[in-house]
Amino acid sequence: MIDAPLLQVDGLSKNFGGLQVSSNISMDLRKGDRCALIGPNGAGKTTFVNLVTGVIPPTAGTIRIEGHDVTRQSAEARVRRGLIRSFQVARLFRSMTVREHLELAVLERTGRTFRLFANVRRIPGLADEVAELLEGMGLTAVAETAVGTLAYGQQRLLEIALALAMKPKVLILDEPAAGVPHSESHRILDALDRLPDDLAVLMIEHDMDLVFRFAKRIIVLAQGQLLCSGTAAEITADPRVREVYLGSRAHAH
Amino acid sequence: MTAVESDKMTTNTSTLPHSRPALPRIVTDAMPVVVMAVGGLAAFWLFPNDLGLLTRILAAALFVMSLDMVLGYCGIATLGHAAMFGTGAYAAGIVAVNWVSDPLALLAVGGVAGGLIALATGALILHARGLTLLMLTIAVAQIVQEVANKARDWTGGSDGLSGIDPAPVLGLFRFDLYGRTSYLFALAVLIVGFLVARRIVRSPCGLACRGVREEPLRIAALGGSPRRYLVSMYAVAGVFAGIAGALTAITSGIVGLDSVGFSWSAEAMIMLVLGGTGRLYGAVIGTVAFMAIHHILASTDPFHWMLFIGLFLMGIVLFLPGGIASLSARVLPLVKGGR
Repeated sequence: MIDAPLLQVDGLSKNFGGLQVSSNISMDLRKGDRCALIGPNGAGKTTFVNLVTGVIPPTAGTIRIEGHDVTRQSAEARVRRGLIRSFQVARLFRSMTVREHLELAVLERTGRTFRLFANVRRIPGLADEVAELLEGMGLTAVAETAVGTLAYGQQRLLEIALALAMKPKVLILDEPAAGVPHSESHRILDALDRLPDDLAVLMIEHDMDLVFRFAKRIIVLAQGQLLCSGTAAEITADPRVREVYLGSRAHAH
Repeated sequence: MTAVESDKMTTNTSTLPHSRPALPRIVTDAMPVVVMAVGGLAAFWLFPNDLGLLTRILAAALFVMSLDMVLGYCGIATLGHAAMFGTGAYAAGIVAVNWVSDPLALLAVGGVAGGLIALATGALILHARGLTLLMLTIAVAQIVQEVANKARDWTGGSDGLSGIDPAPVLGLFRFDLYGRTSYLFALAVLIVGFLVARRIVRSPCGLACRGVREEPLRIAALGGSPRRYLVSMYAVAGVFAGIAGALTAITSGIVGLDSVGFSWSAEAMIMLVLGGTGRLYGAVIGTVAFMAIHHILASTDPFHWMLFIGLFLMGIVLFLPGGIASLSARVLPLVKGGR
């Protein structure tokens, strides 16, 4: 079991009534993987993420984290196993500061949130870990700023920092650069480059520059099915991909 | 997520919003306590004939503070908070009449009773949110009130529970006819209560509750259970409300059905909104303002005082949405040189 993939998805399917939105998707992620999931709108990318993270139950198939079958487990249980996602739409606590966000995430991970009389500022090790996370995403200068007033790109960075605060083994990044102007997406990429090496990352993203520069392996979904997977060069060369995805996007640009 | 927000990123990364040059934390932390103690003692000397009213204000302030823990920190909309207050008051009253009369023990009884009823009802109703939850909190308070009404042998029903005669505080300070002991006792309980409550809202649990208020789904994504946080804080606030009820029972000597009434819950919410939510000391300010204005207007113009209270409230909500307590946040920077 030493070599069991961190995340292993086998024959995953989801029907909404008669509508099949995911059919028979299999994939796995290993230590250090930098993988991207792409596909045209409506390809079922979000459904796939929701299935894997446990937001919705699958109709068929299994999901394993480090060899443990988590198909029937709740989203929270999967989080505790180290499957962490970031959100596409920033779900942040608007009135709370950047520091408070990270404190909360670290406290939650270490199971110390039910302490009623502890002083957050005096919990050993917490301040150091938060400082490290702030530094890692370049957020130190805005640590005491309420998140609601933060620039959008910084909110995206906080989103990633929050995911990292939970010490993930598998990190799913749902459009980490959504809403960030193209000229700024390098900031996100810089931050992604600094992710821990042994982390397995699956990124869902529309920004093809980001995808090609970040991912060592790309998986293409179309109409709820896995179309193909491979390196950036293989994907761009694949005529089927051109047809369903890159071609139409190339016209759009 | 549109162009406007995207533009912000380019500009904001260079000019970060500056945090206000704040006073040292120890000063801002000590300020509310000092103001409460000095103000409380000043009122004691200035209005020796109104100590009954002032004592009621202090106990009410503790109650409104506990509502702030629920509404301000957890975002639980409730119009049934008097259920906890009344349960604490009746529990302390019944114990005082039948068994023990030590005031500190009675406060503990009230706290436990308030906490237990909050824990039991919170676990039942806190899966709901918004309007549904609001209705459920009202229903809980109505049920508690009806139980108190029917259990005449214990509570005195609509006649109220009287004959509460507390022993001297710590065996030393007798409750006197002028209400001096009552007042000082209530002031001490309020200040200690404030310190404990502040400690709690700043704890990891308090932080998590604020998170639940803002974005419960995110809390779940971090691996936490929003409902467990809400129920815990609801129960903790129930303890405070119960203590406030017990304090009222001890200092006034009677407990009536109105202590579980809908209007008491609603008034507490008005006082909290008036003072400002999510600050704890806002609850104290709001209670003092509301009850003082109420008292002054009701004695000068018994026919139209409700109208003026209403106008005052509308003014606050329209022009000071953060409540009276937000004044300090607005005025302090001006005093310190415009920034």
